[in-house]
Amino acid sequence: MNFDKMKYGQKYFPDVDVRDLYRCVSCGNCRSVCPVFEVGGWESTNTRGRILIARNLYEGAEFEEEIFDSINTCTTCGICAKTCPAGANPPALVEGIRKGLVDMGKMTETQKRISETVDEFGNTLKSEEKRNSWLTSDIQVPKKADVVYFVGCLDSYRYKETALKTYKILNKLGVGLLEDETCCGSPLLRIGFSAEKQTDHNRKQFIRSGTKTVVVGCAGCYNTLKSNFPELEILSVSDFLSKNIEKLKSAGLKKLDITVSFHDPCHYGRDNSIFESPRKIILEICTLKEMKNTKEKSKCCGGGGGVRTGYNDLSIEIAKRRWEDLPKGVNALVTTCPLCVRNMRDSNSNPEIQVLDIIDLIESALE
Amino acid sequence: MGKMDKIFNELEQIVGNRVRMNASDLCCYSADASQIRGMPDFVLFPISVEEVSEIMKIANKYNINVTARGAGTGLAGGAVPVKGGIVLDMTKMDKILKIDIENLLVVVEPGVVQVDLNEALKPYGFFFPPDPGSFATCTVGGQIANNASGMRCVKYGTVKNYVLNLEVIMADGTLMNTGSECQKTSSGYDLSRLFVGSEGTLGIITKATLKIMPIPECRKLVMVSFPSSEIAGKSVSTVFSAGVMPSACEILDKTSVDVLLKLDPNVILPKDGDVIIFEVDGSKEAVDSAADKLKETLTPFASSILVTDDPDEMKKIWAARSLVGAAVSKLDPTKTRIYVGEDLGVPIKKLPEMIKKVYEVTDKEGLLPMIYGHIGDGTIHVGQFIDVLDQNDWDKLNRAADALHLAAIEIGGTVSSEHGIGAARGKYLKTQCGNSFNAMKSIKNALDPKGILNPGKLGFD
Ligand SMILES: Cc1cc2nc3c(=O)[nH]c(=O)nc-3n(C[C@H](O)[C@H](O)[C@H](O)COP(=O)(O)OP(=O)(O)OC[C@H]3O[C@@H](n4cnc5c(N)ncnc54)[C@H](O)[C@@H]3O)c2cc1C
Ligand code: SF4
Ligand code: SF4
Repeated sequence: MNFDKMKYGQKYFPDVDVRDLYRCVSCGNCRSVCPVFEVGGWESTNTRGRILIARNLYEGAEFEEEIFDSINTCTTCGICAKTCPAGANPPALVEGIRKGLVDMGKMTETQKRISETVDEFGNTLKSEEKRNSWLTSDIQVPKKADVVYFVGCLDSYRYKETALKTYKILNKLGVGLLEDETCCGSPLLRIGFSAEKQTDHNRKQFIRSGTKTVVVGCAGCYNTLKSNFPELEILSVSDFLSKNIEKLKSAGLKKLDITVSFHDPCHYGRDNSIFESPRKIILEICTLKEMKNTKEKSKCCGGGGGVRTGYNDLSIEIAKRRWEDLPKGVNALVTTCPLCVRNMRDSNSNPEIQVLDIIDLIESALE
Repeated sequence: MGKMDKIFNELEQIVGNRVRMNASDLCCYSADASQIRGMPDFVLFPISVEEVSEIMKIANKYNINVTARGAGTGLAGGAVPVKGGIVLDMTKMDKILKIDIENLLVVVEPGVVQVDLNEALKPYGFFFPPDPGSFATCTVGGQIANNASGMRCVKYGTVKNYVLNLEVIMADGTLMNTGSECQKTSSGYDLSRLFVGSEGTLGIITKATLKIMPIPECRKLVMVSFPSSEIAGKSVSTVFSAGVMPSACEILDKTSVDVLLKLDPNVILPKDGDVIIFEVDGSKEAVDSAADKLKETLTPFASSILVTDDPDEMKKIWAARSLVGAAVSKLDPTKTRIYVGEDLGVPIKKLPEMIKKVYEVTDKEGLLPMIYGHIGDGTIHVGQFIDVLDQNDWDKLNRAADALHLAAIEIGGTVSSEHGIGAARGKYLKTQCGNSFNAMKSIKNALDPKGILNPGKLGFD
């Protein structure tokens, strides 16, 4: 252990928890869980390799471009942290290293592009459209509301129908919208940038609308809002709707004669223990057959941590492995995060099986 | 073009893009689960025996060191290229080539992961018994090269009892088989056994024919707590003397019990002292009768006894037990487990003496040890944990490890019961083995005259 060399890390990687960095005992247990390693096979694509590289950087090793293919391929899925016998928190270490590198001006073109896009457009999709262009004129949005729906970039721009379906239901339950929502900052934070501008902007919006509770569609937004706004109650759409399940039933929620499976988004499930609410809703509507790895042990769809944008082939390959967990005899795969929806759809090789946002299922049951 | 680039190009011709020499990839292969470090010059993944042979020919031509690597879960630096050269990551040679129940054997490539082999055998009602705590990741090749064992080796023996034949690529690239598919043979030197535990210093294992066993009909755990770990240690010989042969016999001292409960707070385990988990297996009647006999024999020593035959419960206990050694940070986040002096082995009757010695040595350094391991075959794993950010703690730890190794030798034991010698324990091998160390060295020189296979290991150089 070279304590002198560690001074470099203390200076340039202040977000890295040094004790956590050296907590890893290199036991290799993460080889059995890391979804990136399952595809990559090189130790540099495994948790343990990332930590060895992180230690090297922390101790002042010379930087080389190949480091990105290790540090930037972590999806921050967190399964290593949950199963690490030593109690290390590798995704936090990875994010700390990314932050240090970015602060030194070391980043990939993709990282730079994402940062510039979010900065300029307020969303990750480079869209100049109004954020709530999905909203139809027949919906009355309350001016002020205790509870607001935070739509997120993906549903605002790519899956507008999901945003609309979600809000149509939430609106009937008295939920409002922010006047001028912007990206939650998660895509920036995951890849090493800070998101103060986005956080400050949304904070003002929450204050203006008198928000006490935020209902969130995307698991990445959920995680980020939860850590940035401890003063607010942050609920996933499934949490909120499962609490209101009786109201949905009164509104005509009926049984459907289908069997679905459920994919737990990492940031809802493993990070925040949201396991029961989506299942409760699904079971009200149809039959649920669990995937092979589920809940805490659920495998990542490959989309998070900037991997989908930075390493698309890898990301899709990870999603394909996730499909191997699907049980036989199901009509659809349901999930609760638009990023998971997107990756699972893009990797789906079976046209018979649909990938649904849970809101699609609810809407069908309400029709 | 420099020599290294030239070699890289030649290696690339064999394995294509499965070779790398950039610093960040290399650094990921500079460690295993021990404290030993060493940077390779190249890392590559062969996928066939022909490739391994070609690689060895190049290594032989240019005098480059070659270190085979499985999952890198070794605890002695065996897979760490302490003298540089090529790291041969064998994990892409991971096919189960044959499951032959009539002949009670499997043929596998070395990169097959232990748990995958047993999953594949399960539908046939068979298993490969050596089950290290690292079973979810470690490879069969690494197991063979380390003569690994595990929880059930007290009854089933270690890897050496299961190897029928090994296909090996020698230092000059030639291929040989050490045995056959016969269940036994009496034909000259037992070369299969020679390669078991050779830690990659004699040749590269490219295929293994392994004996398998039927999965027992029933299993039952008898978990017994004792007022002290020395009394726990003594109870083991009492159990054997009473004619009971447990299929597992694992000690967890009080600290290890606390750590295990942090890993899985829901497992059922006696919480009032040092614990031994005895497992018995066999037919329902045999299991019940062995469990009764165990209880009867141990009642005079025991503080409490718990019994379970619930498969889920047993699975949970073994899963948590397998990772307990690495998990001390769960008890105290300022402490990290460091694997040194961790793998002592003594004759069964000497267990209480060795346990006493462990406490003496660690007390002297002001360290709190955790004692766990396959005590049924005389293995004592000593878990030492320190504040890794404190140099003083490191000094204490290294002194304690040295004293523990010497103490084990002094009482007729071994510095490694199952984890191997590697680079971590090389300096003790001569003292432990006496003249047989010279015989080992002669064998090494005969099979690897240029000393290119995993140099810096076993205390040879
Ligand atoms: C948490 C934990 C628990 C453990 N529990 C146990 C236990 O209960 N029992 C036990 O015995 N061990 C245990 N170990 C130690 C280790 O897991 C075993 O020794 C395991 O067999 C090593 O396998 P590997 O694939 O990781 O090999 P590596 O560490 O990669 O290599 C080990 C040695 O084998 C050589 N080698 C690998 N493949 C080949 C090949 N194809 N040809 C020639 N040489 C080769 C390497 O050069 C090296 O010398 C544990 C380790 C950890 C981290
Ligand atoms: S991160 Fe955890 S599981 Fe992975 S090698 Fe380190 S200690 Fe083991
Ligand atoms: S967070 Fe997920 S992707 Fe990242 S190292 Fe851990 S297991 Fe691998």
